[in-house]
Amino acid sequence: MGAAIWFFACVVAFIGPGALADDEPPAVTAQSLIEGALDLTRGIESSYTEMAMVIHRPEWERRMELVAWTQGREDALIRFTAPEKDAGTATLKKGERMWTFTPKHKREIRLPSSMMSQSWAGSDFSYNDLSRTDNYLRYYDYAITGTEQRDGHTIYTLTLTPHDDAPVVWGKEEMVMRDDYVMISQTFFDQDFKPLKQMQTMDIGELGGRTIPLTMRMADFEDLDRWTEMRYLSADFDAEVDEGMFTTFALRGER
Amino acid sequence: MPVKLLLQLSWRNLWRHRRRNTILLVAIAIAVGGVLLLNSMLRGMQVNMQETVIDNLTGHVKVLQPGYLDDPSIAHGFEVARDWDAELDPDAIVGWTSRIRVPAVIMSERETRGVQLIGVDPARESISFLDDIVIDGEALGSPEDRRVLVGAALAEQLETKVGRRLVLITQGADGRNREAGYRIAGVYRAEVAALEKAFVFTGAETLKNMLDTLVVTEVSVRLADDRFEPGILATMVDAFTGLDVLSWRDLEPQAAMIAEFMDTAVFIYFLVIMSALVFGLVNTLVTAVMERVRELGMLRALGMRPRSVVAQVVVESSLVMAVGVAGGVLIAAGAFALVADGIDLTAFDESLQSFGVRPQFTPVMQTGDVVLVVVLSLVLGLLASFYPARRAVKQKPLDALRR
Repeated sequence: MGAAIWFFACVVAFIGPGALADDEPPAVTAQSLIEGALDLTRGIESSYTEMAMVIHRPEWERRMELVAWTQGREDALIRFTAPEKDAGTATLKKGERMWTFTPKHKREIRLPSSMMSQSWAGSDFSYNDLSRTDNYLRYYDYAITGTEQRDGHTIYTLTLTPHDDAPVVWGKEEMVMRDDYVMISQTFFDQDFKPLKQMQTMDIGELGGRTIPLTMRMADFEDLDRWTEMRYLSADFDAEVDEGMFTTFALRGER
Repeated sequence: MPVKLLLQLSWRNLWRHRRRNTILLVAIAIAVGGVLLLNSMLRGMQVNMQETVIDNLTGHVKVLQPGYLDDPSIAHGFEVARDWDAELDPDAIVGWTSRIRVPAVIMSERETRGVQLIGVDPARESISFLDDIVIDGEALGSPEDRRVLVGAALAEQLETKVGRRLVLITQGADGRNREAGYRIAGVYRAEVAALEKAFVFTGAETLKNMLDTLVVTEVSVRLADDRFEPGILATMVDAFTGLDVLSWRDLEPQAAMIAEFMDTAVFIYFLVIMSALVFGLVNTLVTAVMERVRELGMLRALGMRPRSVVAQVVVESSLVMAVGVAGGVLIAAGAFALVADGIDLTAFDESLQSFGVRPQFTPVMQTGDVVLVVVLSLVLGLLASFYPARRAVKQKPLDALRR
């Protein structure tokens, strides 16, 4: 699955591993691990998070801050708050459809399919990465291909192989996940099974009463000096979010 | 004066000035040969360009939904009756096919590109460049083939190869996005790299399924010969009411304009070269006549009419002209035989490709052009010899003899 799911599992619908630790599924399978992690988010009506995004390139690095409101797993509104230049730039996601808004142009754009594979806000994530939902899982065969014990946790390695007609360019994907559903890394391989991209959890900590990956980094294997890091600044997983938040009107920031 | 005597006199006169007349003859032969060869090159370019345009999935005649050109989406598709071609004269067409062509985004692990995704019936594509491309891997087998054929240049950009999977994203009939993975059946090499980057092929039925539609976006017809165009066009306008039936000239106005320009260019080149030749001819004939003032004066004094004298000079130069033109045609035929198989221009490949011209170039010699050059040369030669002949008879016989 896309970098996305995982990213969105975090941004859009926060996984609460703490809550899960109590009722661990009886038999751990690849499916139970993935679905278990994703299912956690279903309990959450809406959330409000503040994050920092660092885009690193060999020549430069920039840090942006953003806030995100989510509802269920389908709807999200992300708005940049810093730096000044980008403040107000926003992305709205409703299901698989997306819109962007730039204050400079004073109008929102419904993203055409041709733009979905482009970089989101100059980061290593594409709009596609953001727009995909968990039904994306149906495109894969998955299996646990390794387990090990580390720091009192069972660490599972899951291998995801996309079906032949799946809209997935990767040859395979590998997820490393803790038994409390904290994702440690996700690696994307090309069709020669050479690793290309990796999303890695840089540090794990407590936020909003849950143990979660606090910082995640998406890096390019072919050029390790290019990466995008997402860091949680604060999170409220029970925030009251108004339905009207997920409209193009709200996207413009006119509320 | 009997014609036979006139010819006899002219013939003997020609042999009296062997060197001068040989030079003249060679000059004419080379000029005519050159014009013919140059002409075959220009014609070749014209035919080549038209073929390329028609091969590039245009065909001679194409049917489109009005509005498709502005917004090439499946929304501008139409249904094709199975037996619409019943009215067509089977001898007039090489074949026809229907295709579904939509803009799509193609993705590999590393790159993303915009392309035209074209659903084809491989068996019917003998009418386009698909028929004679080199394919690394396999060609598409049927309209149901669930694989894609991509160009070599595109495969290189996407850093992918035969057997790999690509993801294609396009808009379905309902306006929603469709995306799916497709294996690469083969990588094709076209003569022009721009094609390789633009066109991705898959089975027509596969694409219809992906887009959730029964319609096609174009019907393309290839004719056996240009002259059938008006007739076929008229038949098709009746068969496809409410749709645009367009000639390749409408679809590729630039190529059509260049083709038209070639017709004029051929004529202009010919006039330029021939007028240079005519001056040479007139010059030589004037000199020849000047040398023979005494002789011609003598003929006049003996009672030959001025008209006959003029006729004699004209016949002389016409003979040289005729033999020269015949020689020129032979030279052109010989040189043409050497290059008829095509001239390899791969050395200039890149600059040519930017014009959409094939690196392999085949000259074309058309009978009409040869006849035109031959007839025009003879007429010009005839006109050119009148002036010196007129000058010759203008002098009074007594003055001429006294020189």
